Amino acid sequence: MIKFENVTSTYDAAQHPALEGVNVEVEKDEFVFLVGASGSGKSTFLRLILRETRPTSGRVYVAGKEINRLAGWKVPGLRRQIGTVFQDFRLLHNKTVAENVAFALQVIGKPRAHIKRVVPDTLEMVGLQGKENRMPDELSGGEQQRVAIARAFVNRPMILIADEPTGNLDPNTSVGIMKLLDRINRTGTTVVMATHDVDIVDQMRKRVIELDEGRVVRDQSRGVYGRS
Amino acid sequence: MQLRYVFSEAAIGLRRNLTMTIALVVTMFVSLTLVGMGLLLHAQADKAEQRWGSQLQITVYLCNANARAATCAGGEVTDPQKSAVVQVLKTHPEVKNFSYRSKQQAYDALQKLAKQQDTSSNDLYSTVTVNDMNQSYTVTLKDPRKYQGVEQAIAGLDGVENVQDLHNLLSPIYKFLSAMLVGALVFAGVLLVAAVLEVGNTIRLTAHARRREIGIMRLVGAGSLSIQLPFLMETLVAAMIGIVLSAGALAFFVWYVVYGKLRTSNIVYWIDYWDLLRAIAAIAVLGIVMTVIPTLLMTRKYLKV
Repeated sequence: MIKFENVTSTYDAAQHPALEGVNVEVEKDEFVFLVGASGSGKSTFLRLILRETRPTSGRVYVAGKEINRLAGWKVPGLRRQIGTVFQDFRLLHNKTVAENVAFALQVIGKPRAHIKRVVPDTLEMVGLQGKENRMPDELSGGEQQRVAIARAFVNRPMILIADEPTGNLDPNTSVGIMKLLDRINRTGTTVVMATHDVDIVDQMRKRVIELDEGRVVRDQSRGVYGRS
Repeated sequence: MQLRYVFSEAAIGLRRNLTMTIALVVTMFVSLTLVGMGLLLHAQADKAEQRWGSQLQITVYLCNANARAATCAGGEVTDPQKSAVVQVLKTHPEVKNFSYRSKQQAYDALQKLAKQQDTSSNDLYSTVTVNDMNQSYTVTLKDPRKYQGVEQAIAGLDGVENVQDLHNLLSPIYKFLSAMLVGALVFAGVLLVAAVLEVGNTIRLTAHARRREIGIMRLVGAGSLSIQLPFLMETLVAAMIGIVLSAGALAFFVWYVVYGKLRTSNIVYWIDYWDLLRAIAAIAVLGIVMTVIPTLLMTRKYLKV
């Protein structure tokens, strides 16, 4: 599903590459934790999958396509197959919960009938039934992150990318979010999650890829946060 | 892409940047009105050219007894002198044709003109007698713009008091019209630059205000067009208001000033509603182009997918 082939990525101003010689392959249905200190290259890894940035050298494949050679106008098509969740939720505060989720479908031109059908289903799946008409500010952090996950998942992407989704949440709430991501993973969606949350990684026992100064220093199935 | 979405986003954007939108509308309005005025002036100059250009003739006034010119030393023009003039006119390559006007004909024409004037100047006309008038030749040229050759060939002949051509008479009017035209266009050009910069500013503001939405749109895979369209609509609406206001101002000008005041005198052809329509069409196209192009350029810069 995702394949990094000898990927090096250097930002113009930086002395060290953000990623260096990374070789990683993620299969369909996999759940992968991306761990490492701040600045270890986790975000660059995720940005490469989204083609927000391109590798300086090497190749990135998503769903069999070499995306660094993808024409600019095809990038939106790639991103429709990838859902993204962030630490800071990134909701639109002037729209209701349902509108926030519908927004993701509206802007890619889905028909209204489709949106009317899919949005309530998705909100129910993330556990927000009955809160469709609330504004984001009226919700707790965990609920806001559920809205963000609903928005990322509403178009049934092949891949879900989560960049520290529990970074702003208390441990109990985090567990709920992780259960939700696990459920999404079980529907066949590949999940790649960058995190600093030791407890969660240790509890879930999923594949762990550890980055250090842009290099993969550990790639372990059913791993834990720290070296075991 | 849902149209409802595009329109509602554009409406939100217009309200959010209300002062900027108003500034854009006003600049558009003033600059487009100036361009439109320039076009109307140009059309008016063309009309004048059409009217006068075809009739631009040289008039060769022959000496009468009162003439003081050096070539009139012999007093009233003699038949041999007239023959010499006719000979030049017949052989000159630029002359298309010419006609003779006697003193009586000139007098009749003057009296006819006197009747059209208001009565206060009738005394002036009544003191003129047939004998005060000049005999003349009215010369039509093959090319009205090449009047100088004929003028030079005739001006020095004995019995010719002076040679008058309408170009000399009309050139101040032409100069005034073209100066107005240049002035209006230069001023309009400066304002158009301001309008284009304001379009850019409006987009910058909107892009900033909507950066979160735009970020989400890019992430969920919205195409460039979906992202650009609300911006385009926003500036287009402002442009449309500017265009409509300026079309209204031009229409008012043509209706009130040209049709209401100027057209009552028939000295020249005045611009009509067709010229107005053409000017409005031109400013509409200009207004749209001048918002669409900077909008697309700016959105490409700020909203790269």
